[in-house]
Amino acid sequence: MSQSFHSLAQLAQSVLETRGTNAKIKLAAEYFRNLDDEQDLRLAAQFLGEGAFSDVSGKRASVGHRTIALQAAEFCEIDYDMVFKPSRTAIGSASETIQKLFENLPEAKAKWSAGNLTLQQIADIYEELYITSGRDAKQQILQNAWSKMTPLETKFFIRIMGGGSLRIGFETKSVVNAISKAFKKDLESVRYAHMITGSLGDTAVLAKNGNLHKATFELFHPLSFMLASPIESRAVENLEQYIAEEKFDGMRCQAHIEGQKIELYSRDLNQITTSFPEILDFFKERNLPEVVFDGEICVFKENTILPFQLLQKRMGVKKPSKKLLSQYPVLFIAYDLLYLDGKPLFEDSLLKRREKLEEIADTYNLPVTSQMEIGSQEDVEELFQRALAHGNEGLMLKLKNSTYEYGQRRKSWLKVKKPSGSLDTVIMYAHAGSGKRGGKYSDFTLGISVKDDERYEEEFIPIGKAYGGYSNDELDEINKRIKKITLERFGPTLLLKPEIMVELEFEDIQINKRTKAGYTLRLPRFKAIRWDLATKDADTLKDVERMFQQKLDEEREAQGRNPSFVWE
Amino acid sequence: MIKITKAGYHGILLPELSIGLDYSGNDADYIFISHAHADHMPRNRKLTVYATPPTAELMRRRGFSGEIIKMSFGEPLETGQARITLYPAGHILGSAMTFVESELGSVLYTGDYRTPPSPTSEGFQLPDAKVDQFITEATFSLPIYKWKSHEELKMEVHKFASDSLADGYTPIFLAYNLGKAQEIMHMLRGMNHPIQIHGAGYKLCDVYETFGFDLGNYEAYDRATCEGKILIAPSSAPETGFASNVKKVRTAYCSGWASSEARMAQMTVDALIPLSDHLDFFELLDVCEQLQPEKVWITHTPNPDVVQYFLNKKGIDSGFLDLEATDQD
Repeated sequence: MSQSFHSLAQLAQSVLETRGTNAKIKLAAEYFRNLDDEQDLRLAAQFLGEGAFSDVSGKRASVGHRTIALQAAEFCEIDYDMVFKPSRTAIGSASETIQKLFENLPEAKAKWSAGNLTLQQIADIYEELYITSGRDAKQQILQNAWSKMTPLETKFFIRIMGGGSLRIGFETKSVVNAISKAFKKDLESVRYAHMITGSLGDTAVLAKNGNLHKATFELFHPLSFMLASPIESRAVENLEQYIAEEKFDGMRCQAHIEGQKIELYSRDLNQITTSFPEILDFFKERNLPEVVFDGEICVFKENTILPFQLLQKRMGVKKPSKKLLSQYPVLFIAYDLLYLDGKPLFEDSLLKRREKLEEIADTYNLPVTSQMEIGSQEDVEELFQRALAHGNEGLMLKLKNSTYEYGQRRKSWLKVKKPSGSLDTVIMYAHAGSGKRGGKYSDFTLGISVKDDERYEEEFIPIGKAYGGYSNDELDEINKRIKKITLERFGPTLLLKPEIMVELEFEDIQINKRTKAGYTLRLPRFKAIRWDLATKDADTLKDVERMFQQKLDEEREAQGRNPSFVWE
Repeated sequence: MIKITKAGYHGILLPELSIGLDYSGNDADYIFISHAHADHMPRNRKLTVYATPPTAELMRRRGFSGEIIKMSFGEPLETGQARITLYPAGHILGSAMTFVESELGSVLYTGDYRTPPSPTSEGFQLPDAKVDQFITEATFSLPIYKWKSHEELKMEVHKFASDSLADGYTPIFLAYNLGKAQEIMHMLRGMNHPIQIHGAGYKLCDVYETFGFDLGNYEAYDRATCEGKILIAPSSAPETGFASNVKKVRTAYCSGWASSEARMAQMTVDALIPLSDHLDFFELLDVCEQLQPEKVWITHTPNPDVVQYFLNKKGIDSGFLDLEATDQD
């Protein structure tokens, strides 16, 4: 007998209302323990921690926020702009707004009744959304689904569908904990099984059946990537225990290969195989044995690694044209080997994995990163400068005897990066936050000065939107201040008198023709609120243009005497 | 139709009749104060005003020093040009709606109100006579606001207090110190557990008792002896060290604004109890529908458009008198 989705929604609500991680874990553990059916357990763990689909499935329901909101407004027979939007602004969460409107409005109440859907039926609805394309068709599916759910179920149905956080203060780590507690299994082995399978649902079932030891790595099931910590935050004591590699200005990729069968996976474990046909051809020609590489995709032309901005033209293009392929040819550069001939290698040390990687690279003529020994801070400095000269981002320092710590961000891998840029900007608009920040203005549009720029009539134009980098106190201070400088209000957005100056930090500048400035910033965030600056101190569009040009014009050394990677 | 003007934060003026409603200006002969919350009391503390006896007493306690002429519910005042009658508004003790009748027509001004009424108020009653213009607050002006019944909320309050005490925790209710605080004390009186209330609220409690509302076994907050008692304090209190010497506390935030999940994280409280002393969105629409006035004037709201949208659907003409709502519920 399959379990009801309603009981899962109730569990999620109780977890939300309970304070303290241990108390939350206890609730979820009890719930897991009481699920007799394996498939129910699989789905419950997945819904709580991963979303509508298992992370490794590569599937998505692909329903946009707007589709959901419009459909909900229709369900309630209310005007989207007049009623739905202000309600969502007040609550700060679309799904919670929908729950309340469905509970309160007679027009909505008349449309739903508790259909007691099972977990499996919910999974089937997500599957249907996945295979259906087109907004109208998806809206029809939502309409049908919501009519068979209570508003509480609808809220969590929407959150699970999004695949993000359920916003109940219960993330992946807690689900793993709850599985361990539910079936009285050692936390470390549950965690290991989760890493290997990449699936909370499978992990829960393995734990229930006492089969955690059977969790094995399989080809064409991507493994979570090992991540690096910034070097500033970690004191490095024994530099000589690390080796250095250049950090490419490219896209992280995991390649699973078995002869002529090849799949490529991105950082978020999505399949990106069809976007890079030249990499497929490259591997096919070589007819490799069963292997999994961790590496980087870079635009490589005339023996030079080209900027990430150019690689972006290829990202997300599922069927690149001939022209695109010849303009921006890419190369896969390997730096780790995770699997070979039926054996996972991630428990081996980096040195051992590297040895095997080099063997394969030699045999099959594959590009692999150059590795450099380091003994001192001076070595790091010299190699760092060389990496920058190659147009790369900086250096990776990797602990020689470390295992491949998939999904972890520890100090075994360290990244040494060029300090990112910053601009002095002014807050132009404030936007109401959502989720945890609902009810506060937490997102800000920041502007640069164009007052002496004959191309513009305004004084300031937006350059980016930031929603982080400030402390809670600073956010409160800004919220207090903006009350006094609000000029106009457009729903959740406030137009502010330009006054508050922010030093905005970012990773990169990119051209974006659709914006007023013509540029967007990558990962903009507050570095500091500069109460000491006045709006006349704001940086200008000309400054931005100069910074961008500098980046493009930077001499990129071709791969020569001390190359970033080796390719015989 | 009687002419209605609003004067920014100074309240509402009926200039032809020289009547001010929660009004601070000195150009009205008759000023009626709906209740003793700060955003409705005159800013000019020396005015002469009319109010119900409990409101008069509460205003005194809160520092109003002008003359207050007491008026009981249902006993009209004749000014020559108009007849003014106060009706119980159900918001807090003494809260009144002001009904103005004249040759120019009639106006009903709600002040803050709640229906079904707070059990620690004199109830809620609308005039029988025709209301031409209805000036209504609309603090909770979105369809996301729909309150649970008083019984349900009372159970939540009880459960929070008794569960906390049973687990060895001191329960703290964060509630506004005039109205909500006393309502919670009244709810809890059956538990017979000692209550301590923050000083600002404490000095208002005996007014409730004088007018016949039992608030149970309570005393003023005392840091040294508060552990293990039920504590009641305004929401700002925890930041200023209230009961910070007690290790095991659980906190419940009691407000109409407590109805969204984000508030829980922001307020870092253990429970949200959506207890409001205002009526909810649907009750507001019901009152408008019941009265069928020529015109509804909406005040004290961040979302007049939404109320108007729903009133339009019901064929009721409305407009916005723009008095900003305060966050104080």
